[in-house]
Amino acid sequence: MKPATGRAALPILLIEDEPSVTAFLRAALERSGYSVVPASSGAAGLELLESGEFRGVISDIRMPGSVNGAEVHAWIQGHRPELRSRIILISGDTANPETQGFLERSGTPCIEKPFRVQKFISLVEETFGEP
Amino acid sequence: MELALDATRSPHVGEFLEKFVARTARLMNAQGAAAAIFRGPEIESLAAHGRLDGGTAHQEALRRGLQTALEKGAEEIRTARAATAFGKEAARTLGLNGAKLTLAQFDGNDAAPLGIVCLAREEPELSWEDRRLLRALVSHASLTLENFRRFSQLERSRKQWVEDIDAISDYIVVHDRAWRIVRMNRSLASHIGAPPSALVGQPMSRLDALVNSPARVPCPLCREVERSHEEYVQASMKRLFLVSTSRIGGPHDEDLRTIHVLKDITDRREAERRYRELFDSIQEGLFFATPDGRFLDVNDAMVRMLGYAGREELLQADVRDHLYLAPENRLRFLRAVESRGVLRNYEEPLRRKDGSILHTLQNITAVRDAEGNVTQIRGLMLDVTEQKTFQAQLQRERDFNQKILNTTRSMIFVLDTAGLVSYANRRCFEAGYREEELIGARLVDWVHAPQRADFEAALETTAHGVQVDNLELPIRRSDGSTGHFSVSLSPMRDEQNAVNSIVVVMTDITDAAILQAKLAHAEKMATIGQLVSGVAHEVNNPLAAILGFTDLLLESTDVSAPAKTQLQIILQEAQRTKDIVQDLLSFARQRPARRELVQLNTVLRQTLKLRTYDFSSHGVEVSVSLESGLAPVMGDAQQLQQVFLNILNNAYDAIQEAHRRGRIEIRTEQRGASVELTFSDNGTGITEPSRIFDPFFTTKGAGKGTGLGLSICYGIVRAHGGEIQCWNRAPSEGSVFLVRLPAASEAAAAAGVEGRR
Repeated sequence: MKPATGRAALPILLIEDEPSVTAFLRAALERSGYSVVPASSGAAGLELLESGEFRGVISDIRMPGSVNGAEVHAWIQGHRPELRSRIILISGDTANPETQGFLERSGTPCIEKPFRVQKFISLVEETFGEP
Repeated sequence: MELALDATRSPHVGEFLEKFVARTARLMNAQGAAAAIFRGPEIESLAAHGRLDGGTAHQEALRRGLQTALEKGAEEIRTARAATAFGKEAARTLGLNGAKLTLAQFDGNDAAPLGIVCLAREEPELSWEDRRLLRALVSHASLTLENFRRFSQLERSRKQWVEDIDAISDYIVVHDRAWRIVRMNRSLASHIGAPPSALVGQPMSRLDALVNSPARVPCPLCREVERSHEEYVQASMKRLFLVSTSRIGGPHDEDLRTIHVLKDITDRREAERRYRELFDSIQEGLFFATPDGRFLDVNDAMVRMLGYAGREELLQADVRDHLYLAPENRLRFLRAVESRGVLRNYEEPLRRKDGSILHTLQNITAVRDAEGNVTQIRGLMLDVTEQKTFQAQLQRERDFNQKILNTTRSMIFVLDTAGLVSYANRRCFEAGYREEELIGARLVDWVHAPQRADFEAALETTAHGVQVDNLELPIRRSDGSTGHFSVSLSPMRDEQNAVNSIVVVMTDITDAAILQAKLAHAEKMATIGQLVSGVAHEVNNPLAAILGFTDLLLESTDVSAPAKTQLQIILQEAQRTKDIVQDLLSFARQRPARRELVQLNTVLRQTLKLRTYDFSSHGVEVSVSLESGLAPVMGDAQQLQQVFLNILNNAYDAIQEAHRRGRIEIRTEQRGASVELTFSDNGTGITEPSRIFDPFFTTKGAGKGTGLGLSICYGIVRAHGGEIQCWNRAPSEGSVFLVRLPAASEAAAAAGVEGRR
């Protein structure tokens, strides 16, 4: 485990395809004192993950394109073990049984859209630590 | 000699008589003499000499005279006037007027005289010597005549015998010990081609050709010469003879006679052969039997029918007990024969040799003796097994078809091409239609009026030979209600392949239609679930942004207070949108429900607790009747609570709308393998009970509900393997919701299975 101070300086990787959602999340996070690197797709997120260091990853589950949130989660489990418990997932709907099963198995924290900013920030603080 | 003599009798008598009269006339010194021999009253032979001889007229007179003289009779020798003895007429014709005649009789062994002799002499009176001479002559002549007569009788009977055997058409030949022909009848002689006399004395080998005998035996007809009688059948080239032989011994060995009688039995044999051939070639069984059950003769067909290897086997077999299926059958048959004599088309199943059953049709004639006892039974037998089998099969088929027609749940009609009912199966009458209203009626009249044209068109199509399947039509039932029917029409054709009637099969599929509708509903629900899920996801993104930015703005110090008030409104509306979407999502949510033993009574009580305050504060009376010992169900208590809550809310809303003192009755009941819960209210009732479970269907005012509540209930109950129904009570008396859930199996209940998340 690396010292918190070192990791605390790192940005949060935000993978979200919806620009308006990305904009509001980025604003909320930055206002709370976090730095953010956005990625507009799962594939773009993975590219950043391969080269960069992040404090944690926030990813939408359902995204268009070849890589979705579950796959990002799986990739991290295999390639970036230090980020294993530093993932927050955002779901648009939890009705999908696949999503349900995945969430139950992984135990990864998840927040359902739409949500209040306060609730989101407290989950981020809980998972990644205060800024 | 003009005196005619019957040649067929004795030629010797006439000759003798001629000599006798001539000699007597000479010895007795008479000028004329005549004599007649009588056979009965008739003159058999007549002879005249000297002056008594003459022409025809003379001879006739002489006959009469002698006859008259014999009739008068008298002593042995007498002398009389000619007119007295012969009668005047005869005497005159003979020129004997005034003359005297000497008369003497020939006496035979019998009382009657053999004849008479008369002498015409110059000296009519006889001297003693003359008299003695005449007596001697007459007596000697009488003896001779008697002998002649005997001989002639013998001759006659011999001739008679020859004639008799000549008259026999059978061939007769007699030979002696030396194999020489002694006698032969005319028919045999003519067969050989020679007069019988020419063959007498010839060796028997002359007859070799007759019977194709090789000329090595002395008699072609003798076989066992030691036997006094023998009989056998001998075939010649063309003919068939029955040879009967008798051997008669005489006082001496030499007198042994062998008599062969050959009866030509060719024709009889031929007739017999033809009869036999007919008998055997006939395809019907023929038999002769004794009343005690033995076959005397049977033909080949009979043997075949009864399954025996051959005639002999059947004739020798004791079939009495085997043949009849039961002894009383045989007795019944015998009684019928005895009493009626002739049986026509008598049906009797018989047992073949191998035990299989032969169905027969018999025509029987009884033959009776003089006392009227049946001595023989003659019969003709037909094998009708195939017909019987065919008949039985036909009957079975008919029964089978009848059963199908009678037990099917479908109504089956036969219509003529005009569409009139000519047949209706039992189901139609079970369904309540009456025969008199069906037969001859137009079936189309039972079709719901707006669809009659469809039915008419289908009839038309079928009449043209095309089958119409599964036409779904509303049809009026016998009780007046309308049911949903599946109708199939099939053309039925006659021998000419022309459609002459139409078979209509109608099945009430009302229940099936309901089920179909339910299935369609379930499918619709699943589709809507997917749709809602997609929509919710799409809505959530912008909503997340709206809600998020509103939050951020509200926290911002740059925003003025009045603006924050408006932002607060945006926040509220966004929140409301979020709730709607949440509702949608929970409808579409397909998370696996828990499956554990649930006590419905407990769930109901808990649910009621949630609403107790609301109900009592609004004056809604709730009566609860829960069956104790209600079986548990396998399910998700929370989901079921959601269902009950939804129903209760619905009832509450309906009561509120009705503006009357509300009342809700809740009842649980065990019904077989199901548990039933009913919720009755006295609210406004449901506008469209059939649509109440459709998603987004709501009768509530704007903002009061999404219309998804009862759809969610529907989904939950279905997922529990149960069903949910609702209907209105009497008009404006409120509605009833029924939830039926399958009771947990005893095994599951005993195990207390815990569901998993």
